[in-house]
Amino acid sequence: MSLVSDRSQIVLLGILALLCIAISLAAPQFYTGANVIAILRQCALVLIVATGMTMLLVAAEVDLSVGASLAFTGCVGMDVTNRTGSLVLGTLAALAFAGGVGLFNGLVVTRLKVNSLIATIATMMMLQGGVYLYTREAVQNLHQIRAFTELGAGYVGGLPIPVLIAALIFIAGFVALRFTTFGRYLYAVGANGKAARLSGLRAERLKLVAFLATGLLVGVAGLILASLMNAGQPTAGRGFELTVIAAVILGGTSLSGGRGTLVGTLLGVLVLKVIDNGIIILRWNQDLQMVVPGVVIILATWLDLVRRRRDAR
Amino acid sequence: MPQSVSSLAAAPAGPSLLRRLARRNEIALLLSLLAVIAFFALASDTFLTTRNLTNVLGQAALPLVAGIGVAIVFISGEVDVSIGSLVAAIAIPLITIMNATESFALGVAGALALGLAVGVVNGYLAAYLGINSLIVTLGTLFILRGGVYLYTGQRAIPDDVMLESFFQLGNGRLFGVVPHPAVIAVILLIAFAYFLRHRPFGRQLYAVGGNPEVARLAGYNVRRVKFVAFVISALLATIAGILLASRLGSAVHVAGLGFEFQVVAAVVLGGVSLSGGVGSLAGMALGVLILQFVSNGLGMLNIATEWQLVITGGIIIAAVAFDELKRRRA
Repeated sequence: MSLVSDRSQIVLLGILALLCIAISLAAPQFYTGANVIAILRQCALVLIVATGMTMLLVAAEVDLSVGASLAFTGCVGMDVTNRTGSLVLGTLAALAFAGGVGLFNGLVVTRLKVNSLIATIATMMMLQGGVYLYTREAVQNLHQIRAFTELGAGYVGGLPIPVLIAALIFIAGFVALRFTTFGRYLYAVGANGKAARLSGLRAERLKLVAFLATGLLVGVAGLILASLMNAGQPTAGRGFELTVIAAVILGGTSLSGGRGTLVGTLLGVLVLKVIDNGIIILRWNQDLQMVVPGVVIILATWLDLVRRRRDAR
Repeated sequence: MPQSVSSLAAAPAGPSLLRRLARRNEIALLLSLLAVIAFFALASDTFLTTRNLTNVLGQAALPLVAGIGVAIVFISGEVDVSIGSLVAAIAIPLITIMNATESFALGVAGALALGLAVGVVNGYLAAYLGINSLIVTLGTLFILRGGVYLYTGQRAIPDDVMLESFFQLGNGRLFGVVPHPAVIAVILLIAFAYFLRHRPFGRQLYAVGGNPEVARLAGYNVRRVKFVAFVISALLATIAGILLASRLGSAVHVAGLGFEFQVVAAVVLGGVSLSGGVGSLAGMALGVLILQFVSNGLGMLNIATEWQLVITGGIIIAAVAFDELKRRRA
């Protein structure tokens, strides 16, 4: 099976190629090594969380709290590391916190049967309020542990560490969704929850795992973000949830569940971040970074729809 | 399902009126609202004053007006999250036209024209081209906010002419008591509640949201009904945006950030289902009022706004979970 088995991904690949060609014609510095690495680093944070979000959307659920959780996790990670002087404890605290948020979302959705859109809006509100109760200002890096700075800014073999982490997570997610029963069941649950349940799948358990995985991935991304900013910023991550969801949807994952791939998500992330980068390189007004992705997600979804209708005929 | 069939058959003599009332979502919401009010009335001396109660109504007016539109879109089986940016965007033609022409009416016309255009675009893309409405309106949410930032250079546009009529719209009080926005919200609520209940469009809306296939077979124009729902939603958000601009006295580029989440939460709390065909404007209004009274009451008790967010989030989860539990048992 080829990687781009779903033909909606060919549309995306085409858009991505066009973008790269157009931007590099207008601004030759687009293809410099430094810029490519900058784009990849930008992609890393979104891709890490988008991997979890893809699983959730495949299971016909969604998590809007990831942006608020991202900021809170960064603060927790930084604060605990400051207090204990131990990066291990800080990392564990951040992962435990973000995983806890994911677990909470999962339990509310699967046990209390609250619609995940509403449940995670509520969690988002609680986290936004909670982070200011926790800290009014940015939690500064008082520990100056080298490994912590390396997490965001370091390189291994010429590649930024965040990119390597994102790549590992992406591969793990790809294998889980594509080659394990967990992945296959997730598609089944998302496509038709009732049928999946009647055939003996533990739909709620699978969804809970997807929420927990998304939470933990937010924890990883939150630590990287805190490292990159050298502080835990309570205001960070605003609108991050929309970027992640836009990337996943752009990648061809259906909001109604049961359809979507991580390769599509990767392409979606790349398209959005290449656009972001192009706007900066071409010295366009940076406020266009909101307008252009808005146009692109509508356009890409429409193109996909047209293509699918033609195929159906 | 057997439960609902038997209760239908027994309807004339059926369970007592009280029983039937108790089963209605709106009654549970009304009781919750009264409980919230009673709690804060006991906890704070300043809560149960005319001044404060009317203030809350004035504040609730914006989510109420926008909530009517969002509820209508939800009932039609679609979603509209673009309103948060729309309330900021329409303030630009409103204020710039008023500054240029010194005419309140022309300013409002400009705002409504932009609102109408956004509604038509949302509706066309979602209803006629069939693109998922969450994606469409997420897209327009981005585009409009980015457009506002681009146009304003991330600065507020001040109202230079300060027309009395424009000021009064958001800040005046009817008989010196009820804030004008609250009056407008109540009039719109009653008008649209009548519209949904007693006009063919209302029936079509519920039919289309409940089961589009059946609605189509019954001869309803599913696409047009959904299209109209988006246009109504955008126009109502425009009115909310005009009221907000009057209160702020300028076109503020960050106005309405997160407003879409606030309204969606209140609408769902009010029992309007995300999957379409279910819910009422009365329920929506109660949902808005409950959240508004809670945040006002917590403010009265000098509880930090951060806690208000945390508590509101908790209430939303608890209310929706409780509703789901009740439905499963019924």
